[in-house]
Amino acid sequence: MINNYLLVVQNKSIIAKLPESNITFLFPLKDFTVGFPTTYSLEDIDIDNAFIFVNRILDNASFLEFKKTIKKLPSNIKGIVFDDIGILEFLNNSSSSLTKILFLNHFNCNYLSINTYLDYVDSVLVSPDLTFLETNEILKLAKKKLVTYTFGHVNIMYSRRTLITNYNKEFNKSVPLISEITNDLKQKFKIVENKYGTVIYTNEPFNGLRYRGNSNILYHFINSLFLNDEEIIKIINSTSNLESDYPYSYLALEEGIVRIKEREK
Amino acid sequence: MIELLSPAGNLERLKIACLYGADAIYIGGYNYSLRANAINFSENELKEAVSYAHGLNKKVYVTVNIVFHNQDLEGLKNYLISLANIKVDAVIVSDIAVIKIINDNQIPLEIHLSTQASTLNYEAALFYKKLGVKRIVLAREASRDDIKIIKEKTGLDLECFIQGAMCTSFSGKCVLSNVTTNRDSNRGGCAQICRWCFNINNEKEVFSITPKDLNMSIYLKDMLEIGVNSFKVEGRMRSIYYIATVIYEYRHLLDKIKSNTLTNSDILYSNDIINRCANRESTPQFYDKLPTNKEQYYLGREEVSNQDFLGLVLDRVDKFLLVEERNYFKVGDTVEFFGPNIDAITIKISKMYDENMQAIDIARHPRMHVYLELDSNIPKNAMMRLKVFDKNSYL
Repeated sequence: MINNYLLVVQNKSIIAKLPESNITFLFPLKDFTVGFPTTYSLEDIDIDNAFIFVNRILDNASFLEFKKTIKKLPSNIKGIVFDDIGILEFLNNSSSSLTKILFLNHFNCNYLSINTYLDYVDSVLVSPDLTFLETNEILKLAKKKLVTYTFGHVNIMYSRRTLITNYNKEFNKSVPLISEITNDLKQKFKIVENKYGTVIYTNEPFNGLRYRGNSNILYHFINSLFLNDEEIIKIINSTSNLESDYPYSYLALEEGIVRIKEREK
Repeated sequence: MIELLSPAGNLERLKIACLYGADAIYIGGYNYSLRANAINFSENELKEAVSYAHGLNKKVYVTVNIVFHNQDLEGLKNYLISLANIKVDAVIVSDIAVIKIINDNQIPLEIHLSTQASTLNYEAALFYKKLGVKRIVLAREASRDDIKIIKEKTGLDLECFIQGAMCTSFSGKCVLSNVTTNRDSNRGGCAQICRWCFNINNEKEVFSITPKDLNMSIYLKDMLEIGVNSFKVEGRMRSIYYIATVIYEYRHLLDKIKSNTLTNSDILYSNDIINRCANRESTPQFYDKLPTNKEQYYLGREEVSNQDFLGLVLDRVDKFLLVEERNYFKVGDTVEFFGPNIDAITIKISKMYDENMQAIDIARHPRMHVYLELDSNIPKNAMMRLKVFDKNSYL
């Protein structure tokens, strides 16, 4: 089985440990990402065929900085995965030859939206917030190959607020900017902050390895955050779906509830 | 064009919003709207709402702002056509699928981009402008500079929130509700997990991510000057009292800005009225700085409910005012009436009667009808509240 992986890099040691033929390494770009403890400047990205990841919602001042950064882009960077629609507009009005993948976290939940965006970009990441059934249906109806969120902890909340810093200030604490939170139901989440905001992640990695083998997938997105190199290698080299090791299906098995009760007619 | 934009979760609230000074009202149909657990509007009610509002020269915008899944697309085109047929003034959308359907089928609907799209830069705004979007509801994270630049670079109509609850997250970028309760936040089922308490790394102090509410009253004039067109109040789940109070106060502030008569005491007084009605503290949030710990709550739910809303004026009969009671009041209480086209009036209750015109001292029962003997010209639909703040003390 040949699979194309788009692997988020959190530790560069992984690069040498994996065959590069079917893996595209995705580097969270310094100053333009949230939720990643490790980010990379353009100078740090020293391999061929690298992709950059920009998942911040950019204000105008940051967008100006982004434009300056893109102008300095070295030739080894071949693609970009991004969340802000402004980047789509900017890249399409410039002479960029980058492969463009729209992430748009929590959107892109239907084939019509995805096919519309595919008029502007090379591929779209299907929202991980869907059931397996819904995702498979979208893969069938998409007019280009798509990217699926195939494995990893999922970003389930992105705030512009620096929530941990604010907490530390309020209570004169020094809680680390990568931490764990628990609610009254004893549900745990991971939380990561940088100066651009705070991200809450699922506590367990979502296992969507069953998407491998679907022919309409351009890349399998693997978020390596909170995984060590051995785990990443095991996941990528596995031929089974590793469901006993990683049983967490996130929202993929049961559709969400919209109304608590129907309105009386 | 400058407008005060009010939410309304049902027809009664829409009428109150119109009467209390909103220029436009945004509402949701029974489907495709992010407040799925509000009462919302059936198709007939949508028709009635538009007819009522247009009769008063007000506009109605309908939210079609969920993130659509494949199965939600079924029926969407017909729904959009029906909204065009009843002549709603615009639809508020976040999913590009809705824009695509409107454009491909040439449905005559003005498109406003929802705050769910988290627009924070002009490049993003230009993308949507090319798709035919006429107005952007900016992300609540937009700063003064962002708003100003987006206006200058795009010329689009800009709508900004000025009052109400904030998401902790960028709107649309949170599925905590889905993960925690299986209620789908981006399809209208948000369980407001950001108002829950958390623990972080076993620290003993509660880790809260709950923001205080937004209140932009001190920056209204500045917002007008940098080109904001629509001043939006959050809260399609809010009561008639909340809508009346907030719209009434912001109407007065905007009118005073227009007539160049706004004073600091006006703002301070309105702020106190609004904050008390909202039961939560409110601040400007992202407009002038990045929010700090001061713009959040840390001790769980710090909402203080009150019984300020005493009654709704149903009618005037000769020298009597017929009031539907909402909270306990009695002879001797000093109360305040505010309402459509009147300044707030303070009155001490001297005599009151039940619906059989028997004199009573106390109105104890919610929804009971009470006649107050009053000489003032207080109109139908005015509201009676406990007098808490004295405007003169702010001068």
